[in-house]
Amino acid sequence: MKKITKETMVQYLLIFFIAAIMTMIGNCINTVTDKNPDTFVSILDGIPGLLILMAIALVSSILGFLVPKVPTIVWITIIGILLAMPYNTITGPVVAEQVGKLGLLPLCTPVLAYAGVSIGKDWVEFKRIGWRGILVALLVMVGTYLGSAIVAQIILSAQHII
Amino acid sequence: MEKVNAILKNWPLHVSLLAVVVICEVINTITIKTPLGNILFLPMLFAMVFGLLLFLLKPVTWIQEEQSHVASDFVVIGISLFLAKVAVTSGTQLKQVLEAGPALILQELGNLGTIILALPFALLLGFDREAVGMTHSIAREPNVGYVASKYGSSSPEFRGVMMVYITGTLVGTIFLGLLASILGATGILHPYALAMACGVGSGSMMAASSSSLTAAFPAMADQITAYAGTSNVLSNADGIIMTVILGMPMCNFLYRKLHPVIGKGKKSQKGGK
Repeated sequence: MKKITKETMVQYLLIFFIAAIMTMIGNCINTVTDKNPDTFVSILDGIPGLLILMAIALVSSILGFLVPKVPTIVWITIIGILLAMPYNTITGPVVAEQVGKLGLLPLCTPVLAYAGVSIGKDWVEFKRIGWRGILVALLVMVGTYLGSAIVAQIILSAQHII
Repeated sequence: MEKVNAILKNWPLHVSLLAVVVICEVINTITIKTPLGNILFLPMLFAMVFGLLLFLLKPVTWIQEEQSHVASDFVVIGISLFLAKVAVTSGTQLKQVLEAGPALILQELGNLGTIILALPFALLLGFDREAVGMTHSIAREPNVGYVASKYGSSSPEFRGVMMVYITGTLVGTIFLGLLASILGATGILHPYALAMACGVGSGSMMAASSSSLTAAFPAMADQITAYAGTSNVLSNADGIIMTVILGMPMCNFLYRKLHPVIGKGKKSQKGGK
């Protein structure tokens, strides 16, 4: 799995490409239906931003294969920050402007549609867990979320950020 | 080119999901007004439900078991585009992220909150050693692997971690999206604190919870995204280490203390190693 081949590269590119097309269309519709005429982004307007995101994702995936000890998400974060940070006056403004045309929400919608299909295969097992197991699982999520939020609230208040 | 062919051959899957995306974006966010505040149902949450329905509906013969596996690869690889957007936003907000560094790092300890909250309930509901597997962490892939290697894949601990893993996979994304929305609406905790909590180590869970917050607080959207993204990367990086040195020992300690008091049967006091 952790081996870089021509097939994996084509697979990654193809998936990025399909996801980008869906995002492009979804993003455009989203800017129409959110009832704010100032934010309209046409399908074509979204292309440069998506190409930048695809490039970051592709380079990071390759680095993830070459240096398996560092997960892909860490590469994505490092490259994304370096390209867009205000101290980088060469690519910073362009990257921030073009990627800014793409909403956070429309970028998630296609992936979560696929996630819906992908969880289908676990549905039978899910039904077997029973209400007690599901209740505990939900409490696990509440506990993690609330625990982190409360600690963050305390530190941020102490630092006078909020 | 087996994997590539699987993607190309299943074009009806992609076309159907494109239709789902279009429909969801046309509906856009549905806001439900409650006495507490507005709860948001985002297009991505309907998209997930529609995707599952397409799989479950018998007449949709072109979306079944095989397509489900294709879709799995798609989620793992396709989410990189979203993560790249989050990284770019973090870059534009780099100053704020660095300023909030201490909070971002320390809130990782808050993930242990799951043990304090969920372990007692699990014991009260009659779970035994399963409870340790269930509540020691948020049970994403690395934790499942860790429990399997520590206790074996036929142990009660492993059964427990799998229950939470499967529930998390199926309803976790939607649940965390709504939870963030509800907590944001109550106004008790600041949106920035809630944003930092969104990074639980799962891309889709972070996507749903942080987007709920950005939709509810558009003026703070970029900073919310940056905090959520950074905390998610931290959770990815330190998650399993935290589990091994803190989460699991603490969970086993609490199990040994609580089990004789509230556990079912109340006799097995052995606990973990």
